[in-house]
Amino acid sequence: MTRTRWRDHDWRLVHTAPQSPALHMALDEVLTHAVGAGHRPPTLRIWEWAAPAVVIGRFQSLRNEVDAEAARRHGIEVVRRVSGGGAMFIEPGNTITWSICAPLSLIKDMSFQQAYAWMDAWTLEALGELGIKAWYQPLNDITSEGGKIAGAAQAHRGGAVLHHVTMAYDIDAAKMLEVLRIGREKLSDKGTQSAGKRVDPLRSQTGLSRAAIIEHMIATFRRLHGLADDTLRADELAQAETLAREKFSTAAWTADVP
Amino acid sequence: MHGEYKMPGGKLIVVDLGIENGCLANVQVSGDFFLEPDDALHAIDAALEGHGAGAEEHVLAAAVRARLAPGVMMYGISPEAIAIAVRRAIDQGAHA
Repeated sequence: MTRTRWRDHDWRLVHTAPQSPALHMALDEVLTHAVGAGHRPPTLRIWEWAAPAVVIGRFQSLRNEVDAEAARRHGIEVVRRVSGGGAMFIEPGNTITWSICAPLSLIKDMSFQQAYAWMDAWTLEALGELGIKAWYQPLNDITSEGGKIAGAAQAHRGGAVLHHVTMAYDIDAAKMLEVLRIGREKLSDKGTQSAGKRVDPLRSQTGLSRAAIIEHMIATFRRLHGLADDTLRADELAQAETLAREKFSTAAWTADVP
Repeated sequence: MHGEYKMPGGKLIVVDLGIENGCLANVQVSGDFFLEPDDALHAIDAALEGHGAGAEEHVLAAAVRARLAPGVMMYGISPEAIAIAVRRAIDQGAHA
């Protein structure tokens, strides 16, 4: 296997109507395997959320990270994703999230750190065009002069790499701190010095709507790497719905690290 | 008992464990680190199980390293950092 470049691939865009948190987890797994098996071209998938969620990292302890009672009170579904990294607090409209599913050849012989920087480079360019000077902050963050903007996570599955990123658009920090058990030392990382503040680096620094930022990011990816509009195939969706039901919605998976 | 350690330049490593008859029991390592493949986490937990509560860091780190299959990749976590989090769980738990 030799290293491939972005332009060697026929990139596809999937950006569908809002979907449930468990289905998003399942789609990451299904599409990453599909790309690894050569059944689908490399894909950029933009997530739209049908419901609020806490998404914990593959290796995080459920009880250590999430206040289950507070999550229930706010009607927030807790799901575990396939990649490592930290917990995300999602309400529809408060974040911008995407996944890139690519053959491992795109990051061949790279260290983890090089691979994160490589997969985030187009994002930094897109943010720069919006007037935000942002940079990759090892190990897996994107930050700016105004503080942390995004967290990324990678997982290798079935011959492909999954690289997903969540950017804070406009987060209710008070509610986030009710639901996530974030230690005091971690708060500085999250850009939330005091509860009650909004974490809105993208909204406040661009003045743009979430939809306008997403549109701009898609345009940047298209210009740099090439991108054709695509949809989920019926069999991919069916497979993901089964996986959402039989794996990602189950207590056995969500509490795999209790 | 519970211990945490933020590896310098790395991620947060959390250890929850009990001590039964002077030995580590029900060891659970967790955190916001990255591991490939993901089932390596169970191997890490298993490698720590049953060590004496007095085991030194280098012994715990070596036990973790020995149990990891070839090709396991760690990002933001290391056997030494896990060992520190385990010692903190034991020592802080003892004073709690």
